[in-house]
Amino acid sequence: MNDPYQVLGVPETATDAEVKKAYLNLARKYHPDNYHDNPLADLAQEKMKEINAAYEEITKRRSGRGGGSTGSSYGRSGYDTYGGGSAYRDYGSQAGSSSVLQQVRAAINSGNLSRAEALLANYPDHNAEWNFLRGAVCYRRGWMDEAKRYYQTACQMEPNNPEYRQAVDYMENGAAGSYHPNNGPFGTEVCAANSMCLPFWCCVLPFCC
Amino acid sequence: MFGYVRPPLGKLSKEEQERFRRIYCGLCHTLGARYGLAARFILNYDFTFLTILLSDGKEGCAPCARCPAHPLKKRCYRPTDTAMELAADESVILAYWQLRDGVSDQGFWKGLKYRFLSRLLRGAYQKASRARPAFDASTREHLQKLSDLERANSQSMDQAADTFAALLSGAAMEVDDPVRQRVLEQMLYHLGRWVYLVDAADDLKKDAASGDYNPVALRFGLQNGKWTPESRHEFAQTLDHSIRMIATAFELWDFGCWHTILESTIYTSLFYVGGAVLDGTFQASIRNRNRNKSRNGEETI
Repeated sequence: MNDPYQVLGVPETATDAEVKKAYLNLARKYHPDNYHDNPLADLAQEKMKEINAAYEEITKRRSGRGGGSTGSSYGRSGYDTYGGGSAYRDYGSQAGSSSVLQQVRAAINSGNLSRAEALLANYPDHNAEWNFLRGAVCYRRGWMDEAKRYYQTACQMEPNNPEYRQAVDYMENGAAGSYHPNNGPFGTEVCAANSMCLPFWCCVLPFCC
Repeated sequence: MFGYVRPPLGKLSKEEQERFRRIYCGLCHTLGARYGLAARFILNYDFTFLTILLSDGKEGCAPCARCPAHPLKKRCYRPTDTAMELAADESVILAYWQLRDGVSDQGFWKGLKYRFLSRLLRGAYQKASRARPAFDASTREHLQKLSDLERANSQSMDQAADTFAALLSGAAMEVDDPVRQRVLEQMLYHLGRWVYLVDAADDLKKDAASGDYNPVALRFGLQNGKWTPESRHEFAQTLDHSIRMIATAFELWDFGCWHTILESTIYTSLFYVGGAVLDGTFQASIRNRNRNKSRNGEETI
């Protein structure tokens, strides 16, 4: 295993609070919520495992040191429970779903988008679930605009389905909640509305201020 | 050329600014050494960004030299390595096909400029395409697809953007490490998608006047190239989703000395540039900037 301090990016002399802060920041960055349906979710999951192990290792070493403030009170944060779980949104089977659409879900989960697309193309009933799955394939391919429109269609056809509603919500508000270093604002429109941001020309054009 | 992808130099420390300048100069030297003087003129921020992505994160000693652009004072630059050679070859191929695209898009008289420039670059292109035949073939194929979509007046903004995005992600095809390759492909795909969409948004008014194909205007049904508040918001959202994909991929690889420049470009500049394009102030800022620069006789970089 790599040096746990190096994994968390802190020196060995860091205080417990500093270690925890570094850990929480990394856990926020690689959190499965941040890699929803992301084709690289498996890599993020590995990172998450690595930082969980590093944090655990440091905690263990330090609790052995017998300093009262470490050990049990330090505990393991709620983040670690995500580490081992599936980073993908689970396209588990839905009650009443046809076997073909279940195969589509399985194909998406295994990352076989061409197969999912072929199955969808041959499926005659363009119901809500079909639209939702079409959207999921588009999203994985990076066709964000079409993904959103298929999700919206699914949601209009079955407004009470929480899975479809969640997908539309994510397309409409998801990016705004993304990880940003230093907790800065994430969004093209945020800066236009935010007087805290420097004007464009000060920021991007070289050496003008 | 595009020029949308650039680090927020005004916000970076002197050290980071210098690091960026050294690789900018380094790419120029590499282009000159491999392809001669004409190829040095294709140098821009986008190709520099590509070079940074392909480079390893280590930094050695930097030689210094005078060059045609800076004949008086010696400047230090990042010496040529295999990653920079790859970036230079790919830049030449991209620049050449962009020029050829200009030839076929314009009528005879307007196309003359592109014809002339692509003629200048032809020797360099032939050499680059021999060095990177796979990338050349994939670039040609994707540009062909794109021009077919444009001719067919495709209504799908994502489909049009996909051709350019896939083209750019091909720049990572010669990367050895499989994890690094996946990360770069994802970053370049969405960078390509973002650049294509921002460029289309930047051309809204121009295309509305000339009647040229514009996927963004078609997608949102814009009149005279003017945004409605809703469509503008929706468009910004789709840009943000691509930036999110770039950012999440970026976090999965250690880019070493390029970390700060890449991080600030992704999490800051792309938002600023996208916002300025949506406000219609992007081109004006660049023009003003260039005017001030020539008035003060100062150098950008």
